[in-house]
Amino acid sequence: MKAYINGIGAVSPQNTLGKEHFLDDVTAVEERYLQILKPDYKTYIDPKVLRRMSKIVRMSIVAARTALDEAGIAKPDAIITGTGMGCQADTEKFLNAVLDNDEALLNPTAFIQSTHNTMGAQIALMQANNHYNLTFVNRGFSFESALLDGLMLLNEGEVLNLLLGGIDEITDESWLISTKNDMYKVEPLNNLNLLNDRQTGGLSGEGANFFVLSNQKGIDTYTRISGIETFYKPKNSGIIQEKISNFLKKHELDLKDIDLVILGYNGNPLLDTVYSEIENRLFIYQPTAYFKHLSGEYDTAVSFAVWLAAKIIKTGIVPEVVQKRKYTGRAPKNVLIFNHVRNIYHSLILLQQA
Amino acid sequence: MEELIQKLKVQIIEQLNLEDMEPDDIDETDPLFGNGLGLDSIDALELIVLLEKEYGIKIENPKDGQKIFYSIKSMAEFIKSHQK
Repeated sequence: MKAYINGIGAVSPQNTLGKEHFLDDVTAVEERYLQILKPDYKTYIDPKVLRRMSKIVRMSIVAARTALDEAGIAKPDAIITGTGMGCQADTEKFLNAVLDNDEALLNPTAFIQSTHNTMGAQIALMQANNHYNLTFVNRGFSFESALLDGLMLLNEGEVLNLLLGGIDEITDESWLISTKNDMYKVEPLNNLNLLNDRQTGGLSGEGANFFVLSNQKGIDTYTRISGIETFYKPKNSGIIQEKISNFLKKHELDLKDIDLVILGYNGNPLLDTVYSEIENRLFIYQPTAYFKHLSGEYDTAVSFAVWLAAKIIKTGIVPEVVQKRKYTGRAPKNVLIFNHVRNIYHSLILLQQA
Repeated sequence: MEELIQKLKVQIIEQLNLEDMEPDDIDETDPLFGNGLGLDSIDALELIVLLEKEYGIKIENPKDGQKIFYSIKSMAEFIKSHQK
């Protein structure tokens, strides 16, 4: 499989935009959920266009433009996005207007911008790009589905390059609703102390992580995406271990070949055991890393892990703040991401040095 | 009339999310569309909703829109002549 990451752009609760820093200046907050660090939108987007965009659209455009600029591509052959919840702020705005105005006198902007494909559409509009454009809304598999589609397009020779993004935003309303079923923590906590927090639920977050994938290696290629696999509601840890072993075998790798395993610990004491069992029973000797204390949990949070893995492989640095089991050894060449959302949507993504 | 013009400016800035713009930045005789404020067709829909919601005025003939929404002043004149 030939899919090289030639450009990345991440808008997240950390300073992840730009090449100057790589998690050496992380933001520690005492909050109920993690929000993105707002970029200076006006340096990326015409103010006349900007005024109609909600946060999720703005951060997507900034992340997408950063990735495209890095790859030196103005108009990709395809734009593929994945989002679990889409434009929540505009959806809430529209639905509140429906209630407040008794289903009459509805403002068009919030309605137009509330569909899940708004981000992909806006990016295309700004480039006058009428190529392949698809948005995947598959809950905890949204980014994975988008990635799989992108890999198939590249491998079948349908496109030479494409823009891929994983995006989700959080609002007060959506966070509040999600806390009702114990998905997210209620009380403020220090994000850097995530794994010691005993509250039920994970730490909620948001972000826009974009990648330019190509079938050709570029001068500044980050890494190669070698494989992805998803599996739904595995019955027990044994099945997950079997899935991982088979996945590695399929890619002609052994456990010892994996230099770093990135796990999706989100601070939920009940569900983080899924990761600890894998860490302590399967990857006994491998260095491990985690990332949701920096990004927060959301349906497409795994896209932040892909950003992290790409940076690690390119720089050869595993930032101390993400190390769970201490990293010693060579610069990582093979990185495996194992993530699950609510122990329902499980995925494996393999990245290798290009 | 002056009071209505000021109120309209504030409402339009808020409704259309004209960031970084103050009421004094808008000349009431400047065109709202094209070279003036640079509004577009979606904004026109927002203005129709604003007129109905805030002033209870419905535009019966869409062709009148061009004249009514030419500027803040023309909007204010239309509101004044149609308010009961």
